[in-house]
Amino acid sequence: MIIDMHIHPVFYESICQDEKELEFRKNTFGVFKQSPYDFDEVFREMDYAGVDRAAMLPLDLTTTEGGFVVTNEQVQSIVEAHPQRFIGFASVDPRREDALEVLEDAFGRLQLKGLKLNPAKQHFFPDEDFMKPIYEKCIAHNKPILFHAGLSWEPNAVTEYAHPLKFERIAMQYPQLRICLAHFAWPFVREMVMLMIKYPNVYTDTSVLYLDSPEESIRRLFTVDMGPLWMDRALYRQVMFGSNGPRFRQFKLLRALEKIPMREYAREGIYYKNALRFLGEEDV
Amino acid sequence: MVDLQEIYWSSEKPEQFHMITRQVHEIVEKSPIKQGIVLVVTAHTTTGIIVNEGLPCVETDIGETLTRLVPLEADYAHAHFLPSYGATGNNSTGHIKSLLCGNHCVFPVVDGKVVCGSAQDIYIVELDGPQTRKVYVEVMGE
Repeated sequence: MIIDMHIHPVFYESICQDEKELEFRKNTFGVFKQSPYDFDEVFREMDYAGVDRAAMLPLDLTTTEGGFVVTNEQVQSIVEAHPQRFIGFASVDPRREDALEVLEDAFGRLQLKGLKLNPAKQHFFPDEDFMKPIYEKCIAHNKPILFHAGLSWEPNAVTEYAHPLKFERIAMQYPQLRICLAHFAWPFVREMVMLMIKYPNVYTDTSVLYLDSPEESIRRLFTVDMGPLWMDRALYRQVMFGSNGPRFRQFKLLRALEKIPMREYAREGIYYKNALRFLGEEDV
Repeated sequence: MVDLQEIYWSSEKPEQFHMITRQVHEIVEKSPIKQGIVLVVTAHTTTGIIVNEGLPCVETDIGETLTRLVPLEADYAHAHFLPSYGATGNNSTGHIKSLLCGNHCVFPVVDGKVVCGSAQDIYIVELDGPQTRKVYVEVMGE
C-alpha cells in the first residue's frame, strides 16, 4: 500500500466551476500554466504510481488574503464522492475570530481527518500563545496537524515563520499531538532530523524537489543531507511519503525513492505505516 | 478550404505509443475537402507524432532507441523549480524525445481519402504521461 500524505487538489475539476475562484487559487498558491483535470486523469496517475490513497490539503487565508485555496467543504465533497481514494484535511486561518468553531465543524459535521496549517502563508509563529486553543482542539479530537515547513514557493509567504526550530515548543508542550513538518522542512533538513530524534510525535514527508531531478534530489536527501542509514536506524517511524502534487509528480518521487537502499521496514514506514499512525487510523 | 478537427487521448504511462490511423482516415473521409493534404499536429511539447509500421516490436525498438539516445538520468539543465509554472520541470527526456519524433506528419488527400503506404500507421507518442493529450487534424484543399 502507498499513501500520499501531501496533495493540493487545486485543479480537481469538480471544484473548479468558478473561474474567478480558480484564478484566485492559482495566483495565491503560485501555480500556473495548468488547467482543471477530471478524476479519471487523477486516478490514472495515482494508479500508475501505485498510490492507493491521497491526503488533500486545503488552505484558509481569510485574514491574510481574503479567500481560500480550496475550502473544507470542497475537500469534503471530493472525499464523499471518492471515499476509497482520498483523505480529507481541514484548514483554518488561526487569526479568524471563529477559528475554533470552524475546526469543530470540520472535525464534526465534515468528518475531516486532520488539520493543515501554513505558518509562512498564514503569517504566524507556531509557538505563539494564541495558537494553543487550536492545538488543544486537535488533541481533544485526536486529529494530527500537517504544517508547511521550510521553503514556501507561494507568493507572500515568509520562510521565517516556518523554520523547524519554531515548532520545538509545540512538540515539547504537546507530546500527545502528532505534527508533521512537511517537505523535510527543506532546506533545514538537519534541524528537521534533530526534532524527529528528540520528539517521536514529530513527522515529516518526502515532498522535496526544488532542485535537480527526482533521482538526484531524493538521493541527496537520503544519503548526503542525511546519513545513508539514518532511516533504518532512527527515523523509520516518522517519515511519510508525500508528493506535493501538482507541484511535483507522485510517480517520479516514488521512482526515485525506489532507488534508495533501505530496509523493508523503513520503506513500509515511509509508504504507508507512518501515515496510518499519524492519522490515528492504526497503531502500526 | 480548411477543416480542423481534434483527437483526444488519455495516456496511462509515462511513455506510450497510441495509434490514431483510423481516426485520421475517418476525419478525412467525413471532411467536405476531397483534394488536398491532411496535417496531423500534436498540441504538446512532450509528445511526438510519428509514422511507422504498426507492430509492437517496432514500437519497442523505437522506444528503446529513444531511451538509449536520451537516458532518464543525465545532467539536464531543465531539472529545477520553474517560477513560471510554480512546479518542477523534470521532463527533459520528454522534450528531447519529442524533438526527435517531431510534432506532425502530412499526407496527400485524393478523392476524399488519405493516400499512404499500406504499412504507414500514424501514432501519437506519449513522452511525459500519464496525461490527457490533444492532436489537431487539419484537412486543407478543395
